Parts: sequence; structure tokens; C-alpha cells
Amino acid sequence: MEEELGNPVAERILPPAEQEVSNEEDAKIKKYLRGEGANLEVLKDKKLKGQLSVIEDLYGKSAKAAAKVEKWLLPSEGGYLEAEGLEKTWRIRQETISHEVDILSRRNQHDIILPALGPYSLDYTLNGRYMAIAGRKGHLALVDMKDLNLIKEFQVKETVRDVVFLHNELFFAAAQKKYPYIYNRDGTELHCLKEHGSVLRLQFLKNHFLLASINKFGQLHYQDVTTGSMAGVFRTGLGRTDVMQVNPFNGVIATGHSGGSVVMWKPTSSSPLVKMLCHQGPVSALAFHPNGHLMATSGCERKIKLWDLRKFEVLQTLPGHAKTLDFSQKGLLACGTGSYVQILGDLAGSQNYTRYMSHSIVKGYQIGKILFRPYEDVLGIGHSMGWSSILIPGSGEPNFDTWVANPFETSKQRREKEVRSLLDKLPPETIALNPSKIGTVMAVKKKEKKTKKEREAEEESAIDAAKSITMKKKTKGRNKPTKREKKKREIFDKSKKPFLQEQIKEEEELSRKRPRLGEEVELPKSLQRFARKKTAT
Amino acid sequence: MGEVRQKKMQEKGKRSNNRKDSKVFQKKNKGNDKRRHNRGGPRLAPSLQREVNQMKGDDNEVSDFDEGDTFAGDVYEYEEAVPEEESRKNRRYDTVDNYDYKLPDDFKDEDVFSDDEEDTDERDGKRNLIEDSDDADPKNDDDGSHARMLQSITGMPREAFEGKKKNNVVISEAYQESEYNPSRDVLDGNGRISIDDLLDPLQGKPGYSMLRKRTHQTEKKSMALQAPLPKADLQRVERKVAYEQSKKEVSKWEPIVKKNREAPTLYLGQEVDLGYSTVGAIASEFEPRTEIEKKIASLVHDGQIMEAHRKDGSKLLELNKVSFEDEKDRQNRIAKMRSLLFRHETKAKHIKKIKSKTYHRLLKKDRVKGASAHIEMDPDAAKELAMKQEFKRAEERMTLKHKNSSQWAKRILSRGLDAQDEGTRAAIAEQLHQHATLTRKMNTLKDSSSGSSSGSSSDESSDEEYSDDQTEDNNHSKASKLLKRAKDKTLKALEDGDEAPNSGLLALPFMVRGMKKREEAAAEEAKLAIQEFELLSKQLNNSETENIKTETTSGRRTFGGMKKSAPEPRKKTKPEYYGDTDDEDDTETREGVEDAGDDKNSSLIVDENIGSDILGADSKRHQSSVFKSFDETVRDPGPKTTYEVAIFASDTWKKAKNLEKKVDSTSTATASKPALQGQVPKETVQDVDDQNDSDHELMVEGVLSSANNEAYELPSQAELIHQAFAGDNVEEEFERQKEEILNEENPEPEKPVLLPGWGQWTNVQKKKGLPSWMLEEHDRANKKRQEVLKNRKDANLKHVIISEKLDKKAEKLYTKTLPFPYTTKEVFEQSIRMPIGPDFNPTSAIGALNRPEVVKKSGVIIKPIEFKEVDTQRKVEEHKQSGQKQKRKKSKTNNGKSVKKMKAWA
Repeated sequence: MEEELGNPVAERILPPAEQEVSNEEDAKIKKYLRGEGANLEVLKDKKLKGQLSVIEDLYGKSAKAAAKVEKWLLPSEGGYLEAEGLEKTWRIRQETISHEVDILSRRNQHDIILPALGPYSLDYTLNGRYMAIAGRKGHLALVDMKDLNLIKEFQVKETVRDVVFLHNELFFAAAQKKYPYIYNRDGTELHCLKEHGSVLRLQFLKNHFLLASINKFGQLHYQDVTTGSMAGVFRTGLGRTDVMQVNPFNGVIATGHSGGSVVMWKPTSSSPLVKMLCHQGPVSALAFHPNGHLMATSGCERKIKLWDLRKFEVLQTLPGHAKTLDFSQKGLLACGTGSYVQILGDLAGSQNYTRYMSHSIVKGYQIGKILFRPYEDVLGIGHSMGWSSILIPGSGEPNFDTWVANPFETSKQRREKEVRSLLDKLPPETIALNPSKIGTVMAVKKKEKKTKKEREAEEESAIDAAKSITMKKKTKGRNKPTKREKKKREIFDKSKKPFLQEQIKEEEELSRKRPRLGEEVELPKSLQRFARKKTAT
Repeated sequence: MGEVRQKKMQEKGKRSNNRKDSKVFQKKNKGNDKRRHNRGGPRLAPSLQREVNQMKGDDNEVSDFDEGDTFAGDVYEYEEAVPEEESRKNRRYDTVDNYDYKLPDDFKDEDVFSDDEEDTDERDGKRNLIEDSDDADPKNDDDGSHARMLQSITGMPREAFEGKKKNNVVISEAYQESEYNPSRDVLDGNGRISIDDLLDPLQGKPGYSMLRKRTHQTEKKSMALQAPLPKADLQRVERKVAYEQSKKEVSKWEPIVKKNREAPTLYLGQEVDLGYSTVGAIASEFEPRTEIEKKIASLVHDGQIMEAHRKDGSKLLELNKVSFEDEKDRQNRIAKMRSLLFRHETKAKHIKKIKSKTYHRLLKKDRVKGASAHIEMDPDAAKELAMKQEFKRAEERMTLKHKNSSQWAKRILSRGLDAQDEGTRAAIAEQLHQHATLTRKMNTLKDSSSGSSSGSSSDESSDEEYSDDQTEDNNHSKASKLLKRAKDKTLKALEDGDEAPNSGLLALPFMVRGMKKREEAAAEEAKLAIQEFELLSKQLNNSETENIKTETTSGRRTFGGMKKSAPEPRKKTKPEYYGDTDDEDDTETREGVEDAGDDKNSSLIVDENIGSDILGADSKRHQSSVFKSFDETVRDPGPKTTYEVAIFASDTWKKAKNLEKKVDSTSTATASKPALQGQVPKETVQDVDDQNDSDHELMVEGVLSSANNEAYELPSQAELIHQAFAGDNVEEEFERQKEEILNEENPEPEKPVLLPGWGQWTNVQKKKGLPSWMLEEHDRANKKRQEVLKNRKDANLKHVIISEKLDKKAEKLYTKTLPFPYTTKEVFEQSIRMPIGPDFNPTSAIGALNRPEVVKKSGVIIKPIEFKEVDTQRKVEEHKQSGQKQKRKKSKTNNGKSVKKMKAWA
């Protein structure tokens, strides 16, 4: 008996190394199980219980397999700078990094000086292979970042405010002086999106194939780039802003406004999903963590705030100002202001962002936009004199899933992917604060009753309409005033009828609901003895 | 002795008869009870019935100890009543002597010779009791024989049995008396033989004691048979048994059915072998049957023939081999031809459709012109044309069609030409002219050709010249003439080329220089051309004098070589020209890079392609830099701009640059490089190799201040004001907004109002105020609202408004009610938490996650379930295994084990 008891204990105790491995795997499995399974003990339905247990079993196996895949097939691990002793990571300069890294990475440190055509903004494709740059004064260019090869460069000869890639490098949209335009990689103008007006900021929702823009008048436009139809046009009503960012997790678009508020939108409702007051001053920049739970905002009152979007609470308030913010794939936060870039990171994983790296470009250069390059440890900086790119170790995702984004994509793969992503295109309705809730039960709320005032107004208007009907002049015999009057009366009554009926119905319901007097209303004590006793039948 | 044997045989036959058929009419002596039952109850399946019978047999075995173990089939209850006429109870019926089915009286058994009488007796008696005795005398009365029998059995004196003689009534028995069918009186008890009596003589023999013990036991246990149940009860019992039985039968399927029900996936028709899977398999099974098939088969399988064929076939195949390139070429050619044909066809169709007459006329004209050109080239065509024209001429001469012979012309002429208008006159004239041309003699043409060959070198004559009989001489002369003319022209051009403009852009020194260079190149080219011409003419002459071909080839060779060299300088000349201008620019603007060159650049970048070409060529020079391509991109000139480029990613680059600097100072360089050069020392700001900060900053301030001033813009007044007052009363504003939204989403209840005129007749109502129910209702509504507000997600978040508006479009993405088997929301939501698509799961798991409920090959007939005995333990195990394994196991059990199989349509 004792032996039997002893055995499982012995089994549980593993050598420390193995235990660690198993713990790690357990954590991964847990990650892939995506939450806990249902408690089957409670279920009474045996059949359902059986089915669910089978399904849970399969889920477990799948999670295990996924964990193993992650362990064995995703071997590259992301690293980051680690300081020894008194060293500080933010003191490490780009030059010192360049001495340590390989040639290919060293190539990612460069500055391109293009002084003539003004502050540059930039955008990377999803796989990080290509970069589009847009000079304020009309310089548009497409660069292959792998071999630093200029694919196309052209001059549109008018203000370009923003540039954004569509689903792949073949198409990009540029917000120009009057309208946004869509170009292909050869620089051919494909579309002029006149409905958007003069756009200040563009964003592309890759899963929904929506091009979102906010224009000078604070109007938010969503356009489906596959069909060309407008998915939504909303007035923000909060004034002009060029702070707009899409939450990569759920496709919700957030705009930052001068009132210090950040407003989140979805294309199917004109009223904002969430409106939060983030800063006292105007919001100057906005960024979302790739997991969608963390938002960084910076205000003009020199504060950078990190928000937990599940609770809508501030996690951390940092001093400083940022004209532009961006989260990397691994969760590093870059803030750019003036000619200085600071990178914050929570390397401990405790949601506590601290200084990680910093970099100052040439004094006097004004940073316009910073953007982490996906799948590379590179930060692109678009500034008033061109663009530069620096190395930020630990910023990019080391393992890429070729089905999601492949930096070494061939044209055939790109074509395949285009088709597949089009087939997987999500309808705009799926944009919600918590998209994982889709498919769950949501009880339909009862239709709210109209208020009395509304009802009355409606009735009145109906009656007015009935009254204002002009009678036809009919032939001799039928045009008698009595008949006309009768007809008029009829119309009038008819218009009134539905309202009366509704009222009657309501009253009936009310009377049914209202407790009967005889039964439940308690009489005063002195009178209770006179109350008729209930006859026991 | 023989008799005895026969008797026994008969008895045996009877016995076995009884045993076999329980339905045979029997009369039981036991208890003299005549109550017999018809067989009744539910009709059962034969197998069931058998079972039931067996069970009953078992019961009887227990109770009917006296009947003996062996006689199981003789069941009491299930006998049918004996008809009265047979039972002879009251002898109301005449006895029938012989039944049809009985053997006739005179039937004789071959073997029997002495027992004739007895046999008849037996049959006469119609199953009467016949004394089973050894007596041969049939006339013996019963008493005597009985006594004798008893005596013989018991060994007691005969007198002992005498007394009972009178009691003996003759009772007809259905059976012979035997140990199994004891006679009535034996059972009645008078003068009965007890078993002890029978045992006594056996005393002392082996096994006696055991036998006695057993008899004692049976005696002790003996109990009376109960009366059979009434029919209804009996049937009920039967039904019950039948139910039990069928339940058992059905319940054995239960585990199988349960297993199938619980299985996440059913595999149906997996073990079906589809037989042949390939055509080859079918063919291999083929057997020749008809004569012709056999013949063919004999031929086909003949070794010699096969071998011969193989050899031959391989040869054939070898011949069939075509090289890949050839095939590709052929295909390309065919494709080209086809596309050409197609295009031509479509074009022709299109042209045919055009209705415009003028168009067709013009077209025809063109065609004729084209034909004339064609004729010049091709002697055959020319001949043909000549033939045609000759024919036409002849026709004209024959018909005189155009000599005012038509009706129309006659009429016009009869009226007089003067009376006609211009057009008609012109038409007539035209006709006449046509006639004249058509009938003109041929020699005119011949004259002109001979004239041309005589050598009018003027351009006009050359236009006219064509000959219908083109000899080789003519050809040669023409070619030589052409060559000569070309030579002349080139020479002239060379002479002319010296002129240069004295003013304007082209007068600038660098332009002049460039022009010169170009001219030089052109002159060289012209020289080459002249040489070429000379060579050609020589060659022509050679061919005229029919010299050897070798010379011509050598001439050709030189020509080819020259041609190769010739275009190269031409290509280069242009870029160099531009390059020179740039260089000029840069030397001038070396101090102030920004100001100069704008106007020049605009002209410079007329031809962008060429520019890029130069750049490409230049970039080849410093291949040491890794950033060759990148370099290009940067330097690619756009309109109205000059670029400074600073790329200092690596040491190697820097070195390369330094090298370049030296090169630049001496040699010609590209547009951007000097610019670069100018900037390099000052712009090393971003140089990564730079170590100290101070250095760094100094340099920044050095150059780029101008650029910075440009980039920095003061915010506009409006913007400034906006920013200044932005954060003033943000919070109050926001709270107000929140309030508004809350009111919008959860409106406040209406305030109770009295209808005007109601209750206001007196002051009473006014004093009382609103009726209480109204107030109550209002309160309730208010409370409800507060509750709702409290339940909002943003209830505790002061600075957040989370909209709770329902999105109608998104509603369809949610389930409105819980799907059927689920009873709680949590369980449902947890069950759908995992995505099951291929994007979210490893490939090894997708199959199992998405396997359909039933897996079946198409076209396979699903057979009914086969019964196998499954022990529950293993079933549980199987259930736990995955579907794949289950499947395997299933097939294994099918193959390996010989199980008791049954089929059922379940």
C-alpha cells in the first residue's frame, strides 16, 4: 500500500533540467489551448459530455503539437541588448553596435539625405521587404530593403502627406494635396479616391482590405479596396487631426484629437466605440502594441501614457514628448521627437516600460515618422532631410510564418498569397473591440419602447399627413361634399388607427402585469379582519 | 427368436416416432386426464420456438421423473386433445376397421412368416392397448396374458394376480404398453408393480445399490404435477419469455451501437476492396477466349515477335527523339505563324467590313503603289504584272470599251460635247485618255527602262525607274549607282559638318567641345561608311566580272568587323557629351552647390534614360562599394534638384569614396559625384566611425544649417492658438459629453405631467400634486436607469465612454440563442474557443479536428453492421483511442479474429 502511494511521488519528481523543459512546454501548451476547457463534471447531458471530452482531447493534442512545433521549428530566438556592470543599454551607440553585427545587418544602418523634398514619411510592407517613402513636396519612392534597390521613384509635384502600402508591395496609397491616390509599384496612378478629400493620414486594415483615412475636416473614411465601395464615412466632430492608428489586433481605428481624447471607431457604426480622455493637451501620437492590449499615447503636455485596453486604465505614465510613436513586433516602443529617438522596452515582461535605447540623429533634423521594420531589428526614421535607419536589437520578430508574411517571397508566392488573403478577407462587421467574442451568445436586447413624446409626435405627424391629402376632383355625382367629407374622415381615422391599437395593446399588457388589487394589496391591519377569507377549494 | 427381435424393432420404431414428433396424438394414461390443450400463443420464429421448447423440456425433465431423462420430447401440456371417436370414451362412433393410411390387411412383410396375425391385430386395435406379451396366441384373453406377464416379470405365482381380473376393464390405449407407457391399472395401484418389485430380482447384481439409491431419491422428491395454466396466462407467460428472449437478442447489439454512437467519426465501407485499381490490373487478368483473341494472344506472347518488335520499336523511338531546342523552335515558329495568320485574318475581316468607298479606293491605290514597288524588287511579280497589262491592252483593243462605245458616251456625243457640263466632259476625256493609255504600244515602257539604265543619276529619274525585264546587269548597275550616291552624300555631309553656331547655348565652350567630339566621331563613322561603300562597289564589280567568292567574303568580313566597331563610338559619344556638360557645371558650381546648375540641369535631364545609362556605366567604375545599386537610386536625378548623398554605412565605402575623390579630380565624372565630393568632408556627421560627440555636433552646425532653416516652419497662428487653449477645460467637456451619451443611450424617464385640464377644475388636484402611481412609475423608471448605468462597463471609469449601442450589422456574427445540447453559456463558449482552421493548428492536428462524422468512400455500398462480440473492457479502451487507431483496430479484428458473425439490419 505504501509503495503504491510512493510511486506517483517518485514519478513527479524529475531532474531539474527536465522539469524546466516540461514547465516550459506546459506554458506553451497552455498558450495554445487558448483558455480553459469547459467543466464537464457539471454537465448532465451524457452525449454532450462525451462529445466535448473528445473535442477537448483533440484540442489538447493540437496544442501539444503546436507547442512542439514552436519548440523545434521556430529556433531563432529574439535577443536584446544586455548591459554588464555599470553599462547602460541606452548608452550603447549605433556605431558600437555596427562593430558587432554582421555585414548584412550593418547595411541596415544608413542615412539617406534628401534635403530638397521635405520631411519624409515612410511605410513598410507587412513582410518588411519593401519600403515606401513619401517626401512632403511630392517625392514618392519604393525601395527594396533587402538589397537597398530603388524600384521606382517619381515626383507627383504636389504635397504628399502620408503613404501606406496596401496588402502587398504592388500597390500603395499616397495622401496628396487634394485626394489620396493609389499607385502601383511602377508608379502608375491607378485610382484617385476623390471621396476621401484631402487626407491627412492613411491606414490600411490588412485583414479587412479597408483603406481608412482621416481628412482635413475630421472625416473618417473607410473604403474597401477590393470592391471600391465605401464601407463607412463618419464625422468625428472633434476637429482636424492627423493622429490616427489602427489596432492590429482587432482592426479598430483610433484617432487622437486636440481635446486630449482618443476615439476608437469601427466602420459599421457612426458613433465611436470608445472615447477616452487620455491627455490634458492635444494628442500628438498614438501607437498600438501588436497584441492589441496596450496603447501608447503622447500628449502635448509632455506625457507619454501607456494604456491597458482591456480595462481602459493607465498602466504607466512617462514624462516626455513624442511626435511619433511606434511599437515593434516584440513590443518595444519607439518615441521620436525633434531629432531624438528613444526606445522603451519592458524586457522584464512586467508591463513596466523603461529606457532601452536612444539615438539622436543630426541636430536640426525633424523626425516626421518612425516605424519599426517587421521581421528585422531595424527602426526606420523619416525626417525632414530624408530617412535613416538604425539597428534596435530585439525589436523584430525573429521567426516569420511564411503563410502570414514572408520577407523572401517570390512573385508566385505573392500571387498565391494575394488570392488566399482575398478569400480570407473579413467583412467590416467583424471589427469589434473584442473580436474573439464573435460566435458567442449575445442575447438580443428587447426593442426599446418609444417614449410617450415620440409616440405623440409620430401620431401627430401621421394625422397631419392624413389631413394634408388633397382630394381628387371627381366626376359629377361623386364629388358631393358629403361624400368628400366621409372619405376624408375615413382617411383620418385610418391614420389614427394603428396608434390607438398600439395603445390598447399596451394598456392590456400593463393591466396584466399590474398586481390585482384584491389579492396582494395589504389592507391596513385594522381592516384586515374584514377581508374576505380565501375560499379553500 | 426372430419374432422377438421384430417386436423390439417395432417398439423402437414407435418410440422413436414419439420422440420425433410431439404433435402425434397421444393418449396419456397418467391420471386418466383427457384434458389436452391445443397449441396456442403467439406465433414465434422457428428458432425462438425451438428455444422455448427446449426450455420446457428442461422443466419437464425436472418434474417428470417417471418418464425418464431420455424422453424429453414427450411433454404433457402441449398435447392436442384426442378426438372422442378415437378415445372411445363413450363409444358413440363405430369403430373403423382400417384407416387409409394404414397398411392394408393383406400387407405382408417379406421377412415375417409367423407374426401375420399379430400385426393385423395391432392394426385392428387402432392403437388399442395390446398386451405386450411373448404369446403367439392372439386369442388369449387379456387376463391370462396379463397374469402371465406379471408372473414372468415378478416371478410370483399366477394366483397372486387373479383377484384383480374382474376389475380389469378393457381400455383402449393409444400405445403399446411399455415401460414408458404403462397400462392404466398399473398406475391405478391395484396390483401394481412398484419399482421395488422390479428391482428385487436385480439384487446382488453390480450397480444395484446405486440404482436403488436413485429410486429412493426420486421417490422422496416426488411431487404432483400442477394443473396447466389457463390459456390467457399461458400466453402471457409465453410472451414474457419471448420478450426476454428478444431483449437478450437485441441487447447484445447494444455495445456495438453505443460504440458507433459515441465514436466521433464513423468509418463506413473501409474494408471494402474495390478490386482492380488500375487498367493494368484489369488487363493482366485478361484471358483470351474467342478464336481471334487466342490468335492475337499467341502472336503477342510469341517471344520472337516480341523481340523483333522491341528492337524495331526502340529504333522507332530513337528516330522519334527530337532535341528540346528544335522542338521549342518549332513551336515558337508555329506560334508565330499562327498569330501572324490570325492577325492578318482579323485585319482582312475588318477591312472587308469597311463600307467607305473612298477608303477602298485609297486602299486600292496604295495597293497598286505597293505593287509597283514590289515589282521593282521582284522580277517574277513584274513579269506577272506585264502579262496582266498586256492582257488588258489586248482586251481594250478587242472591245474598244473606252472608246466612246458605251451607250452613255454615245448619247452624250449625240447631244454634243459643248452642251455638257464640266464633269461629263471631264469624264469623257478621262475615258479617252484611259483608252489611249491602254492601247499605247509597249515600246514606250521599254524605252524608259533603257533610258534609266543609261544612267541618269538625278533623283527624279530614280523615282521613275523600274523595269519589267530586269536583267542581272541592271541590278548591278542600280546597286552600284546607289552606292555611289550614298558615298557622295556622306562626303557632302562631312564637308558641311564644320559649321558651328557662334551664339547661344551651343556656343558655350563645353558645348563646343562636346560638339567637336561628336563630330569627330561622326567623321570617323562617315569614313568607315565610305570605306564600306567602296568595298561594296568593289564587290559588286567583282561579282559582275564573276570573280572568286573569297574576295567578297573577305570584304564582308571587314565590313562586319567595321560595323561592330562603328556603332560603339556612336553610343558613347552622346553620354560623353552630356557628361562633359555636367562636369562643366560642377567645376563652376563647386563653391556654391545649391545655386548653380538648376537651369542647366533642367536641360540636362531631357533624356533621363541616357542619364541613367551613364550612371550605370559610372557605377561600374567603383565596384568596390557594396552600395552600388543603392548609390544609383540616390543619384538618379529628378527634375529641378541636385542631391547630396551621404552614405557612410561602412569603412569600405568610405575608402572607396576617398579613392573616388582622387579619380574625380582628374577624370570626368558624373553629375552627382562632384556634388558628393563637395559634401563629403562636411557631411560626415552621420559617419558611424566617428567616435566623439563634440566632433559630431560641430560638423552638424557646419553645413546643414541652411537646409534646416528651410525645413523648419513656424506653426501657423491658428495652430498655435489651438494648441494654447487645447487643454483648458478638457475634463469638464468630456464629462459633459459622457453625460450626453449616457442620456442618449439610456434616456431619462419622462417626467410625469398632468394632462392640461384634467383635475384642474378645483384646486384640490393642484394641491395634491401628481397622482401617486405616476410618481411611482417615474421612480421605478429612474431606478431602472440607475441600475443600467451602474452595469455599464464604463461606470467606474471617469474618463472613458464605452458605447453600448448595438451594431445591427454585427448582430449576425453572434448567436442569439444557445445551440441545442448546451445548457450554459460558459460551456458553449469554452467549447468554441479554439479555432480549428489550418491557419491556427499544426497540420498533424487539423485532420482530427475537422474530420467529418462519417467517412466513406464514394460509391461504396454501406453494409449492415456485423455482430462481433466485444468485451466491454476493450471497448472502453478503443473509445479512448483516436479515430485513426480505431479504424486500424477495426480492420484488424475483421481480418485476424474469427468471430461469431451475424447480420442484422440495424
